[in-house]
This record gives sequence, structure tokens and C-alpha cells, in this order.
Amino acid sequence: MDEIKEVSLEMREYIISSGAETLNWCMQCGLCTNLCPYRQVPGELSEVFNIRKMQRQGQLGLEGFDDEEVLFACVTCGMCQTNCPRSVEIIKNVRSMRNTIVGAGILPSHLRPVAGSLHANGNPWAGPREKRADWLEGLNVPEFTEGTEYLLYVCCTSCYDTRSQKIAKSVVKLLQQAGVSFGVLTAEESCCGETIRKIGDEELFAKLAESNIKLFNGKGVKKIITTSPHCLYSFKQDYPELGGEYEVMHYSELLSELLKEGKLSLPGEIAKKVTFHDPCYLGRHNLVYDAPRELLQAVPGAELVELDRTKNKSLCCSGGGGRIWAEVPFGERFGELRINDAVKQNADVIVTACPYCITMLDDACAGLEKNDVLKVMEMSEFLCESLEK
Amino acid sequence: MAHKSILVVGGGVSGLTAAIEASEAGSEVYLVEQKSYLGGRVAQMNQYFPKLCPPNCGLEINFKRIKQNPRIKFFTLSEIEKIDGVEGDYTVTVKSNPRYVNHNCTACGKCTEACPAERANEFNYGMGKTKAIYNAHEFAFPMKYVIDGSACLGAECGKCVAACEYGAIELDMSAKSFNLNVGAIVWATGWEPYDAKKVDYYGFGRHQNVITNVMMERLAASNGPTAGKILRPSDGKEVKTIAFVQCAGSRDENHLPYCSGVCCMASLKQATYVKSASPDAKVYMFYIDVRAMGKHEDFYTKVQDDINMIKGKVGEISEDPETKDLIVQVENQLTGEIMKETVDMVVLATGMAPSTSSALDTISYDEDGFIVSQPGIFGAGCAKKPLDVSSSVKDSTSAALKAIQSTVRR
Repeated sequence: MDEIKEVSLEMREYIISSGAETLNWCMQCGLCTNLCPYRQVPGELSEVFNIRKMQRQGQLGLEGFDDEEVLFACVTCGMCQTNCPRSVEIIKNVRSMRNTIVGAGILPSHLRPVAGSLHANGNPWAGPREKRADWLEGLNVPEFTEGTEYLLYVCCTSCYDTRSQKIAKSVVKLLQQAGVSFGVLTAEESCCGETIRKIGDEELFAKLAESNIKLFNGKGVKKIITTSPHCLYSFKQDYPELGGEYEVMHYSELLSELLKEGKLSLPGEIAKKVTFHDPCYLGRHNLVYDAPRELLQAVPGAELVELDRTKNKSLCCSGGGGRIWAEVPFGERFGELRINDAVKQNADVIVTACPYCITMLDDACAGLEKNDVLKVMEMSEFLCESLEK
Repeated sequence: MAHKSILVVGGGVSGLTAAIEASEAGSEVYLVEQKSYLGGRVAQMNQYFPKLCPPNCGLEINFKRIKQNPRIKFFTLSEIEKIDGVEGDYTVTVKSNPRYVNHNCTACGKCTEACPAERANEFNYGMGKTKAIYNAHEFAFPMKYVIDGSACLGAECGKCVAACEYGAIELDMSAKSFNLNVGAIVWATGWEPYDAKKVDYYGFGRHQNVITNVMMERLAASNGPTAGKILRPSDGKEVKTIAFVQCAGSRDENHLPYCSGVCCMASLKQATYVKSASPDAKVYMFYIDVRAMGKHEDFYTKVQDDINMIKGKVGEISEDPETKDLIVQVENQLTGEIMKETVDMVVLATGMAPSTSSALDTISYDEDGFIVSQPGIFGAGCAKKPLDVSSSVKDSTSAALKAIQSTVRR
């Protein structure tokens, strides 16, 4: 048993006032702890991270919830939250508990450069602001103006990371092929702020969001296409409360509509067994399950097989909630389970639709030395292969 | 001028009670039941809690009261199509579906022997099969065979007709509709077990040895698919370790937001089935809270000493692909330990959802689908809220009184 700790109702009230309005709804049944992806992996963190206990500590304002290792372990995958019998907004509670620490200026050391770069450069990847639009080189993409239908908002990861830039380029090609009226404002944009808000830095999130909202509203943006489900989440769920109201969709949603309307065709055959890893922020957080599957199945020759944990039960890659910057020992990474599952299903390609997932799955595939049997691809890349054949 | 007669919809224990009580007070009663027999879900139970007696004797007494009472007219295989009118003056359209078997049937069973077609045994919740012509169960009232039209091969086959010595089978029987004029309606359509497949992390429908509490009643019943032996579905092995998983969909905003109030007692009762069949069996009951209300506390305290009670809502249930054993994962809320227990079989304590299959415009329902009473139309039993049997009986008696008042108000 744990040692007895001091109950602090003041701390509880402080956590609740930071946004954890549903904290007291929790009845301590423990379903969350059992459905948590940490139960699927071994290791020290899996031993200590208990999301039910964290809610309890918050309810009682018990010291201990601020243990850095535990507090910043949650990947915000939403598995617990979607199944919670009491509809407790568990992720919001985690965010608020983190905020009580981060708001006081204390951030885990591995996240300090992330926040620093967001402050200085408007992106978490230490990329210079003037290089944000470098990914556009060689592509004929117009700037967004009043006459353009959609703003294409590209995730910071795909602006700066060379591997991830391919995603942005592929999405552009597909949109152009389907004749979509779109433009970009990449050079002037800042990070959507989704992840820093999950990390608990409300102030920094507000700064980023306000700058984007000012930009979007000034340019007359009404509809936004995102490359990342995390940006999709932020624009849809976080921005309206700050005055940013747009019609937002993930590129897969738009493409599947265009496919049905006959405006997008995927002519080239790819005779491969392909499986789809549902990104948490596309699936559980935004309820988009069918669009990516419809697109994959439209590719001639592609055979879609499902992973063991799929759709609303999809297993997180562990890239959310700021965990993309966490050092996790090999053998304890969720992504490894996804790669092993895809190999078990005899898939040739594991496709996903999120730049964070791509990073995590790429790492896992390389770490497990499965690159010779399994290819990790972002969906836009896979679809582009069909375009180019 | 108000009609003096009363319509009771649903022939389970609630409908039977309302019909009998009203008729014994002098009212003319029509009783309409969708299934081929009266008795409803109670007929599928092995034992009542807390007395652990079989429900058949109570049902038999009710059937005897119906048989002796000329004021009750009952229709099986029938459903309500339309209700017009107001309190005191309703015109109700009843559709009577074909049994394909007439009054000559003696339940000799020759037809079943001859029948080549099969159907899932719904009385046993899909465990095992019956022929397309079958006896619903051995205590069925009325004791007449019935043909499942969707399974029957039709007149081209006709083997049952040839086998029947009494001319009891009419394959060309068809559905008929007729009107009833009544002054009041008691709506007692009962409940359905919540669909356990919807609680997808428990694996019902994927893992063979995950069953539901209503199925457990059939496994324990001597007229059930295993003749009362508690054998698990995958290999017929006697169950030596078992986990009862409480609140499988109940008290859950994603499923049934309410507590059905009977499942804790049902699982404690079913634990006694396992323990009396094999005293050395290891029984787990995983719960959020045990709700054994009122005088049921005694039963709870008595049974809990014999079994392992673990406070904690079960998370995932996984299956060993070789043995088909089940691994139940749960966080023990008293110790904080994450347990992984391997068991032979899991019983999901699924809650009660109202039967709303025959939803009509004239009937009002609450946000969970339970009937809301209105002048002239009264809910009774589990169509109104989740109840145990004895509470349903009391509720239905009071509904009968309200219905009688509607017939004499003007």
C-alpha cells in the first residue's frame, strides 16, 4: 500500500478551476486503467502509470500527482475517455493537472526545448521561421486569397522534417489532381498548439492559437484542410472558444468525398496487402474511420486487412500528449506492437494518416528490423503511388 | 359509455399478473403475447433469488388461474398494430401471426422427429438448435407445437403434415388482423438483455466462453441445453473457475446509464449454482458496487463468504487461442493491484433494456426507452423500469387497479 498523504482540498479546487470540471464524476471503477495502452507493454513506466489513480489524486488534491514521470506519461489516446462509464473528460483532467505545474513554470527537461522553440519560432522542432515554407519548393501552390475555397494547413512536423515533408507534398498532389481550389499561408502560420495544450501550457497555446486566428480571420479563411489529425482536433475543438470558427476537415475526409463524386481517380494498381493504423486523433478524437478505408480500397489491387486492435479500439502509437519527445526504452514502445501486429497479418504496408504516427511507426519498424517485410507509409504517399503508376 | 374490458400487452409475469388480477376483480381482459407461449423471460429462469426456488410453480399457478377464468381471453403469436381512441374508448388492431399448428395438437412430438429443417433455439438464447417445428419448451403454455416460418421448408417438404396423426398442422395458415374495443391498456412488454456485443472490450461473440447472465440461467436449468450441467461452450468442459463481470454495460453513459438493480443478486445467485455443482470451484465476482437492496443484504453476506469478491470494473477480457481459457484483467480497487486471472468461463452481468420492438406512436417512452404511463395506458413491470420478479408482480397489480379505474371513470 502507498503511504498516507495529505489531502488538499485547495489543490483539488485549483485543479478543477484549471479546467478539470468533470474530475469529481469519477467513481473509481478502474476501467480506464485496464483499457490504457500502458497495460500492453512491460516496463517501469507501465508499472507506475495508473490513470485511475491519477484522477483520484486529483480528486483529493493529494501530493504525488505532480510526479513528473507519471504526470507526463499519458499519451492522450482517448481509449479510457471514450469508454469511461461516467463520461469523465479524463484527458482534460490530465491537461489541467499538468497545467497546475506547467503554469508555475515547471516543465520536464525534455519538453523545455519544445516550449522554447514554440515561443521563439512558432514550431516545436527548432526550425527557423523563415524556413517554414521550404517544403513548398518545386510545387506550384498559390497563396491563399479570398477567392480560394480551402486553406491547406500543414503540420509543423511536415514543414520541417524531411521525411514528413513528403506527406505535405503528396497531399498537395492529390488535391491538385482532384482539382480542389486551395492555397497556403505556411510562411505566416504558427503551430496549431494542440500538443502544447495537452502538455499543460495554456498560456503558450493561447498565444499560438490567437496568432493563427488573427491570420486566418484577416485572410478570410472559412474552410481548412489539415494534413495532421492533431491540427484537425485543435481547430475543431480548441479554437472555437477563442473565436476561431472554421469548417475543418482532415485531407482524408475531403479526398473520400471527391472520390465518391468522381473527381479523384486512383488509376494505378498496387497489388499489396495493406493495413491501416487508425491515428487516435483521427479515429477516437474525430470519429473518422471510414474515409481512409474507402480511399485505400479504391486503389486497384490493394487488399485491406485489419489489425487486431482497430477503429475505436486502435492502439496508440504513443506520439500524442507530448510523448513524441519522450525517451522510451526499446521493448516498451507501443509502436512496436503495431508493427508486430501488421507483420502477423502478413501486411506488406502499414498505412496511417498522421505525421506523429509515421515518426513512431518508422522508429519501431526500424528498431524491430522489419523494414524488409513491412513498409510504413502515410496514406497520401500510398495514394500518390497509385496516381503516378 | 366506457368500455369495461382491458387489454394487457405482454404475457410475461407482469402481463399475466395484471390480466389475472384485473379479471379476478371482474373485468373482461384480453391478453396479447408476441411469443408462442405465456410466461416470458421468467420461464427461462432457473431459480429465483433469494429463495432459490424454480419459477415454474408460480407460473403454473398463474396458468391455472387463467384456465379457470372465463373473463380472460389470450392470444399468443400476436402483436399490436395500432391503437386509436382515448381513455375509456380504445380501438386496438391486433395482428395474429400463424402458428401453423391448430387446436388438435397433442404435443406428441412426431412432427419434430420427421422435420428435416433446423433453427437456433431462441429459448436457450441461441445455444443449441430445434427443428423448424418445435415445442418452445417443456412447460410451454399453451402446450402446442409451433412452426418457425423462416426455417420451415414449406409445403413441398410437408413431412410434418404426413407424420401428424391428428391433422393438427396447417402449412397454409396466414396472419390475421382483428380489432378489440377496450377501456384501458396495460403495457407489459418486459425487457431484453442488453446486447453484450456492444461492450466490445469484453469479447462477447468473439470469445466462445464469454456468456451472459441470461445464458447462464439456461446452462443451469435442467431443461436447458446442457441438462443443468454448467459446461463451457467451447469444449463442454465442466467449469471450475468462473468470473462474474458486473455492470457489463450498466451504469455506463456509453451503454445503459442506469443500474438494473437485479444483476448483482443474479450473479450472487448464479455463484450458488456453480458452488453447488462443484464446491471446490473458484468463483470471482468483479463489481463496482454490490447493490443488494433491502432484505437482499442477507443473501449477499451469506454468498460472499464462499466466493472471491473483487472491487473493480473489469477492463479487457482476452482469450488464450489454444485453450480458449479467458484472461480477465482488472484493477483491484482495494489493493491497487492489477490482476490478470485466468478462468474457464466468464459470465457478463448484462442489464435490462426495455422491449421497444413494438414501438407505437400512441405510447410514450422516457429517454431510456421505458414506457411512461398516461391516462388509460399504464406501464407495468420491466417495460416501465428495471425490476426483479416480485417487484414486477406488485407493480402489475397496481397497474391493474389503475386500468380498472379507467374503465369505470365515466
